[in-house]
Amino acid sequence: MADYKEAPLASRPRTLDPAEYFNLSPEYRRAEEERAALRANLKRQYQIQLNNPLRKELIEDPALTRWTYARTNVYTHFRPTTKTSLLGALFGVVPLFFWFAVLKTDRDKREEKIKAGTYDRTYKISS
Amino acid sequence: MRTSPICVWSQVNGERKMAALRAGCWARALQKVKGQGFKHMFFGARTAAGLSKDALPGSYPKTPEEIAAAAKKYNMTVQDYQPYPDDGMGFGDYPKLPDRSQSERDPWYSWDHPDLRRNWGEPMHWDFDMFIRNRVDTSPTPMDWRTMSGTLLGFVGFMLFMFYVGEVFPSYQPVAPKQYPYNNLYLENGGNPEKEAEEVKNYKI
Repeated sequence: MADYKEAPLASRPRTLDPAEYFNLSPEYRRAEEERAALRANLKRQYQIQLNNPLRKELIEDPALTRWTYARTNVYTHFRPTTKTSLLGALFGVVPLFFWFAVLKTDRDKREEKIKAGTYDRTYKISS
Repeated sequence: MRTSPICVWSQVNGERKMAALRAGCWARALQKVKGQGFKHMFFGARTAAGLSKDALPGSYPKTPEEIAAAAKKYNMTVQDYQPYPDDGMGFGDYPKLPDRSQSERDPWYSWDHPDLRRNWGEPMHWDFDMFIRNRVDTSPTPMDWRTMSGTLLGFVGFMLFMFYVGEVFPSYQPVAPKQYPYNNLYLENGGNPEKEAEEVKNYKI
């Protein structure tokens, strides 16, 4: 597996990650300790609320609230830039004209065939 | 449809109970916000959750202080916190977490929410609902992606090509129109039994 290559939907397993083997510098350890401290604090907050015998309501998760808020309020941080304008045009404007053109030509061709009498209705149930 | 009297009576009673409950709720609400004004009762500009405005996501952080504050807000270290690039796509200061699905996380650790493999308060990925275990899975594959996709596309492409060739150059047993005996079934087709039928020879030696 030494030639294992990552891909967008396939990550590198932790056992093949060189950082796990070689990155034992003090800075890395300190960073890990910081992360562990944050995690432990959150765990403590949750456990205190969970095991509180007088609690009657659901435990509210602020991270979930923030996630929901961020996902629903995308337009407040929207700004028209080249990228967003191009994407908007590509997904919002171009399909209208493209599908109009495709459907119109298809229908016109069918209409011509019907008028000329060459329209093949062998397997058609509706038309 | 005729409903029995007992059903009707219990329905009406239930409705009356519901109405009483709703009236009670209104009474309690009116008591609570007494003196805060009409506006607060109905159009109160407050977050539905208990979070204050600065605990919610904001706009893209520019100064180091804003970055530190945002990292603290999302319960991340300043090193880990990295916002999405500010190109107007609407992310604000939401952190850009690595695109790893929940199926990669340790199944044996005691998560607070075991089916989501997530702890309470942990910052959620923007596409969290995509990365749950029922959906997109980014865990390591037994073979690398190129080999797998090459094998699949190669096989499918080869089969499509061969079927196309089979359409262009069809190959089947030789066929001919069906031949019937007894002079092409002269009598069965309503021929006159007195009259002599013409000889029909469907073979050639």
